[in-house]
Amino acid sequence: MLALKNRVTNSILNSERKSLLRFLTLYILMSTVVILLLSIFYYQYQDKLNLANHRTQLSTYAHELIRRLKQTHHFFDQSQIYPRDNRFKSAIYDMEYINIFSLLDEKKVYFHKEIYRINSKIHFIKVLDNYYLGAKYLVIEVDDIDDWIDETLRNIILYGVIILLLLALFGLYLARLFLKPMRDYIMLLDTFIKDTTHELNTPLSAIMANIEMMDREVMVEKNIKKLHRINIAAKTVSNIYNDLTYLTLKREKTSQNIDIDIRDIIYNRVEYFDILASSKKIEFRVDLDSVIVYIDREKITRVVDNLISNAIKYNRRGGFIEIELREKYLSISDSGIGIEESKIPYIFDRYMRFNQSEGGFGIGLNIVKDILNEYHISIEVYSKINKGTKMVLRW
Amino acid sequence: MVKKIFISIFIISTLYSQNIYEKSCVECHKSLPASLERMFMNYLLVYSGEKNVKVGLFHYIRYPHKDTSVMSKLFIDTIGLKKAIPRYKLSDKELKKAINIYWEKYKVIGKIK
Repeated sequence: MLALKNRVTNSILNSERKSLLRFLTLYILMSTVVILLLSIFYYQYQDKLNLANHRTQLSTYAHELIRRLKQTHHFFDQSQIYPRDNRFKSAIYDMEYINIFSLLDEKKVYFHKEIYRINSKIHFIKVLDNYYLGAKYLVIEVDDIDDWIDETLRNIILYGVIILLLLALFGLYLARLFLKPMRDYIMLLDTFIKDTTHELNTPLSAIMANIEMMDREVMVEKNIKKLHRINIAAKTVSNIYNDLTYLTLKREKTSQNIDIDIRDIIYNRVEYFDILASSKKIEFRVDLDSVIVYIDREKITRVVDNLISNAIKYNRRGGFIEIELREKYLSISDSGIGIEESKIPYIFDRYMRFNQSEGGFGIGLNIVKDILNEYHISIEVYSKINKGTKMVLRW
Repeated sequence: MVKKIFISIFIISTLYSQNIYEKSCVECHKSLPASLERMFMNYLLVYSGEKNVKVGLFHYIRYPHKDTSVMSKLFIDTIGLKKAIPRYKLSDKELKKAINIYWEKYKVIGKIK
């Protein structure tokens, strides 16, 4: 029972994993953007904090220098030596931003800022109240010791990664929480199908066997027609039964691959479905080459069955089905109702049915895709509303 | 007689060889206790840039007032406020020329070491 449950769970795991991945990708992407923004704010905050620490020191330097500039101004006729200091470099500019004298290494000065970093230097701009030597702006320059940058970046990376991991875990928990109803629903459906399939086996076999055994020669015309209709209905149910059996029981089985002539399989299945097709007056146009493929007989039969049965199911009355088999491809086209272009990407999704007027569980094409994926066979779908659908398998 | 003529010629040539700044400014300021350089530094202290200094100086020479003077109150009280120089004595063009010479003579840019 546990093994069966696991198999069912595994079969829905792909779609769940896809949704989970999409949600997590989006969630982590958004979280990363938020963390990046926070990191930028943190970096800017650290930058400002560091500059604020420098501001006090540089302001002291500026006041010391202003005192010495005042002296130079008042005794300029005796000495024109600019006051220098080993701890910093400085420059003075007049009201019109003309350089009066400069000892700066970095000549570019932004007068509208009070303190800023430029090319590994820190500039502090002091606006003078008295224009000693004609100077309105005093610029103090010191080397920018950028130890804080390494520490800040280290903190950003470390805490960023930790927060991202925590958010990812939280996202995973959230995603599982949100996906649980969908998972429960799919599991319920799977369990239901499994149980139904099991119950269908005996009666269906009995019906099919008895139809085959009936002696048509002793029947009146009216009864032959009735038997014919019963046969069609039984084959439809049989096809659904086969899909369900594959889905619930055989999917996990190891493939028994052998060299198979696909042409034989197709002829066989066309013959099988002929009674179904003729009930809708659908004509088969078959053009097949002999093509040998190394594949599991049961699986390729499911593929062909589902494609032909869909072509019949969604065909118009009096339409046709063209089957073309060549060395590297198989194409099955019908003259049916077609599929909207926007819905084509979803036709292989499990339990996906676009036309509620026809029977079925919406599992046929999902099985087809599943098998084709196993054998790395591509499938292309071309469809036009009210014109028909063409499925091309390439290997 | 010849000696007088030579002396006259010398005085006239000396006067004409002086520029407008020397003729119009230095002559009068010689007698003041504060040098023209000291006054220039005061202008720098108040007006900072070249254009500002020149505009301030020009305005003060035309419309001297104790509130716009760069000199100390003590200086004004002791020496008194200068008289406005009218345009017929020194035209705007001549005044600007004199101020330009004054700026070039005492500016600090290029002199600081």
